[in-house]
This record gives sequence, C-alpha cells and structure tokens, in this order.
Amino acid sequence: MTGTEDTAPVVLARSLGKSYGGRVAVARIDFQVAPGICFGFLGPNGAGKTTTMKMIYGLATVGEGELRVLGMDARIERRQIKSRIGVVPQETNLDGDLTVRENLVQQARYFGIGPDQAGPRADELLEFALIGDRADERIHALSGGMKRRLLIARALVNDPELIVLDEPTTGLDPQARLAVWRALERLRRRGVTLLLTTHYMDEAARLCDRLLIMDEGSIVTEGDPGTLIHVHAGREALELDLAEECDPEALVDSLGERANGHELHDGALTLFAEDAEELLRSLDHDRFPTESAMVRRATLEDVFLRLTGRSLREGD
Amino acid sequence: MSYEPGYAGLGGRLAVRELIPSPRHAVAIWTRNARVFSKLWKGALLPTFLDPFFYLLALGFGLGTYIAHGINGIPYKEFVAPGLIASAAMWSSAFETTYNVYFRMNELRLYDNVLSTPIEPADLVAGDLLWSASRATVYGIVVLIVVSAVGLVSSPWAILIPPFVFIGALCISVIGYSFTSLIPKIDLYSYFFTLGITPMFLFSGIFFPFNQLPGWVEVVAWFTPLYHLVEITRGMATGPDGVQILIHTAWLAAVTAILFPIPVRAIRARLVP
Repeated sequence: MTGTEDTAPVVLARSLGKSYGGRVAVARIDFQVAPGICFGFLGPNGAGKTTTMKMIYGLATVGEGELRVLGMDARIERRQIKSRIGVVPQETNLDGDLTVRENLVQQARYFGIGPDQAGPRADELLEFALIGDRADERIHALSGGMKRRLLIARALVNDPELIVLDEPTTGLDPQARLAVWRALERLRRRGVTLLLTTHYMDEAARLCDRLLIMDEGSIVTEGDPGTLIHVHAGREALELDLAEECDPEALVDSLGERANGHELHDGALTLFAEDAEELLRSLDHDRFPTESAMVRRATLEDVFLRLTGRSLREGD
Repeated sequence: MSYEPGYAGLGGRLAVRELIPSPRHAVAIWTRNARVFSKLWKGALLPTFLDPFFYLLALGFGLGTYIAHGINGIPYKEFVAPGLIASAAMWSSAFETTYNVYFRMNELRLYDNVLSTPIEPADLVAGDLLWSASRATVYGIVVLIVVSAVGLVSSPWAILIPPFVFIGALCISVIGYSFTSLIPKIDLYSYFFTLGITPMFLFSGIFFPFNQLPGWVEVVAWFTPLYHLVEITRGMATGPDGVQILIHTAWLAAVTAILFPIPVRAIRARLVP
C-alpha cells in the first residue's frame, strides 16, 4: 500500500443532501472520516444522523452532492462498497427463523463466501461475540446485549474495512453496554475504521477520536472531544439552583467576561469557566441568592446541550 | 402488532443493469429460504398431502359419480387430478409471496439487512421468486405422487410435469410479489385472495371445461397464469400436444419476464428510498 492510500479518507461527503418528499433530512453537509479512527455522529432525534449512515451503507440513495466511500462513488458502486463495509443497524434485524450460528453462516453467504469457509468464519465470530455457547439457540432466546453483540459479529463476516454502527448501545443495560464498548475497542485496535451514531455522551467521549454534532440536517460543529469541550464549554462548570427571587439574566450580566457561557433551564443555571470555584467566590450572593451550588468538570454533555438546545424534540 | 409499511409506489425508473439479477447473489437468498424450509417441511407438507385427497374425494369420487360420461371422454376424477397439481403450486406460490414475504420484509425487517450486504433489489426479488417456485414445485410433486398412486394419471409424460410447474409457479409468484411490494398494509391481501386467487382456482378449467360455457369465459381465463399451467399439467397427464404445451409455457415465461421489474422497482423504492 502506498502512503496516499493509507491516509485517503474512508468516507468523503461533499455537499451531501437528502430530502424525503418535501422534508429535508440532510442539508448539504461536508465531512470526511480518516482511516483507522472512531468517528462519532452526535445529535438529537431527527438530526439526520441515521439518514447519513444509510446513504453510506446503501439503504438510502444519495440525494444531492457527492459521497465517496472507500474511494468509490456511492451513487454508482453501491454493491462494491457494501461488499467492503459492515453495518450494525439501529433495529435488531436478526433472522428469527435461523439459529445464532446460522445467522452468521447465512450472512457470509450473502457476501459470497462459500459454505466451506462460512462455517469456520461463523465459529470465529461467535467466539469474538462471546456467545459460542449459544450457537444453536434461536434468536429470541438471547438477551438484548447478546443480540447486539451478535449484530456486531454479523457485521464482521466480510472482514470489513469500515463498520457503520447506528446507536450500537441504545436500550442496553450498563454491563451489556460495556461489553459492546470492549468489542468496539478491540476492533479499533485492529485498525478497522468505526463510524457510529449515539445519543450517549459518555459513549462518544469514551470511544470516539473525532466527533461531529448534527442538528436539523446540518453540522453544528466538529472536532476531537477534548477540544470541543474546551472551545464550547471551558474546563469547568458551575451549577446553580437559583432561589425564586434571583434574576438569572442580571446574574449572568454581572459576571461579564468571567463566565465562558451559560445554560438556563427551569431555574437551574449552568455557568462555564476555566475555574468554577473562583467564579463561585466572585458571585454577589446577597444580590443573587442560590439554593445550592456545585462545581464539576465540563463534559461533552454540556457541549451537546449548548449547541443543540435543551428542548425535547418532536418525533421519537 | 400491525406494522404498516405505507405506500412507496414504483419509484423512479431504474437502469437496465439494476433490473438484471446476479445469479450468485440470488442463490444466496434462495439458500436462506431453503434453510428455513428444511426445518419446517414436515409440518408444511402434510396439509399438501391431505388437500388433494379431500378435493379428490369430494369432487372426483363424490360429484364425479354424477358425471357419468366423464369430460371429453376422460373419467371426471382423471380430469380433475392434474389440475390439482397446478392448484397446489398456485396456493403455495400465493402464500409464499404474500404473507411470507410481507413478514420477512416488514415485520422481521430481514431485507434491510440483506440489502446492506452486496445483494441488490433485483437479486433479492429473483432469489425469493426462485425459492417460491421451488417450494411450489415440491408441493406439485407431492400431489403428482398422490394422484399417480391412486391411478389417475394415464400418460407417462406426466413424469415431465415438475419443470413446467416451476415455470407456472414463477409466474404466479411474480404477481403475488408485485402485490406485496406495493401494498401499504397487510389487510389488502383479502382482496388479492378473494378477487384473484380464489376465482382463478375455480375458473381456470380445473373443475370443468370451457366448451359448454360462453366464449368470453375462456378468453378471461386465458389471461390468468393458472389456466395455462392447468392446460400443461392436464396435457402431460393425459397425453400432450407439443405445440400447445409450448404456447402455454411461452405465455407463462413471457408474463414472468414482463412483470419482474415491478417488484424490483417497488422494493427499491420502499427499502432504498
């Protein structure tokens, strides 16, 4: 392999757009995913993440603009692209008429892997997913976490260069999530490029090297997790539970440049600063009475909420 | 739980290359369906054995007793028997490409997974149709064995019936598949069966010939696939006329080829919008 191939983007989107009927799902976005990293798409429901993923893995046609996956044109070379990527969908669409092992064998057949190779490949993946002992059971006998691990194993039958995961841990208990994260971390160490969407900031912070936040079909910001926190929130956060007579606007005004920014929600005020302790000391407590105050590190959650708003979204 | 996939229509025109299935990928789909059937076949085939028995008892041996001279010189039960081979294939194809495909596509969401592998809509539809026709042929063979065992087949040519059943079943399957790929909700199958399959079963020449009926009845029947398949199976079972068999076979093959793009386009519009 030459040097240029090693660094050429695995996914390259230029002015990529998609509308369903009159509704714009993805509004002409640009991004690229470097090889070997874990790239995360964050955003509230309806932000356009799933549609973007579907255009990449071939379950939605490219609406506008250009999309190249592994150097190939997603409009034309769909079959070739699909043969080299793995997909973990949001919905569990395992084949309930087949056993656990048969699901993997059959998936290998879809990829043109012959029956003599499909069997050993399936056994290898059952070990990877830690469900070797459940091989001959039907799908409905598996727990949610096992189904999810089987979905990930299924996405590996063709030894993909890129794996697209749409909300890989939604609905899982903490132990099951941890098992999925470990599986993904093992894959990343092998050099597989991971592209995932998630609602969970802890997941994004733990797994992703680079993040892209989407809202209403557009990209709000992009960067590595540490930089995003630093730029959009600062180092620390001060959470104030305001007394009823306290005017939040006046409080924020009184701090001037000392606060990096703020978020107000139902009488709870979050202020961002390099040193939140210092900020708390400098506050005029007689003028602005508070019920409680807490200093903590700024997180990705703060970035997300600041950039996409706190209000609940319609839809799901 | 009733999931409604909604109406997606036929979508835009597709390039010719997107309408041509890749045999290798179609076989992968066929393999999946065959694998599932191989687990269920014992339970699934028993009714197929019993079904023609009941029809033969009620119509061949019951009603047939009152038809003293037979039909066109053939005893009535021998007249009915080959048609039951064709009808078994029709019922099998109709159920496979309606409820079974609907369930795989909309409830199990299997096709979302399949279409994110190298398999494309044309491969998926072709694989499912080949499977449906294979299953129907198995059912047809079962009935052929039953009616031969009770001595209702007089021509040795009957041994060649299965491949024709396959072609006929393919044609009925593509019609069922087109319906499934277009309907917005499952309730519409009652129209498909009540207005399509049942009348076809009754009026395709299985139970009575057309020569005593007004001419338009046969003209209408000519436009249904089952009519042609019944003509073939009866011809083979009683002594075939080569040219007629060829014409009926050509009709079935041509209609299959003409209709094939409908489900391919509809599946593409629905699952790869």
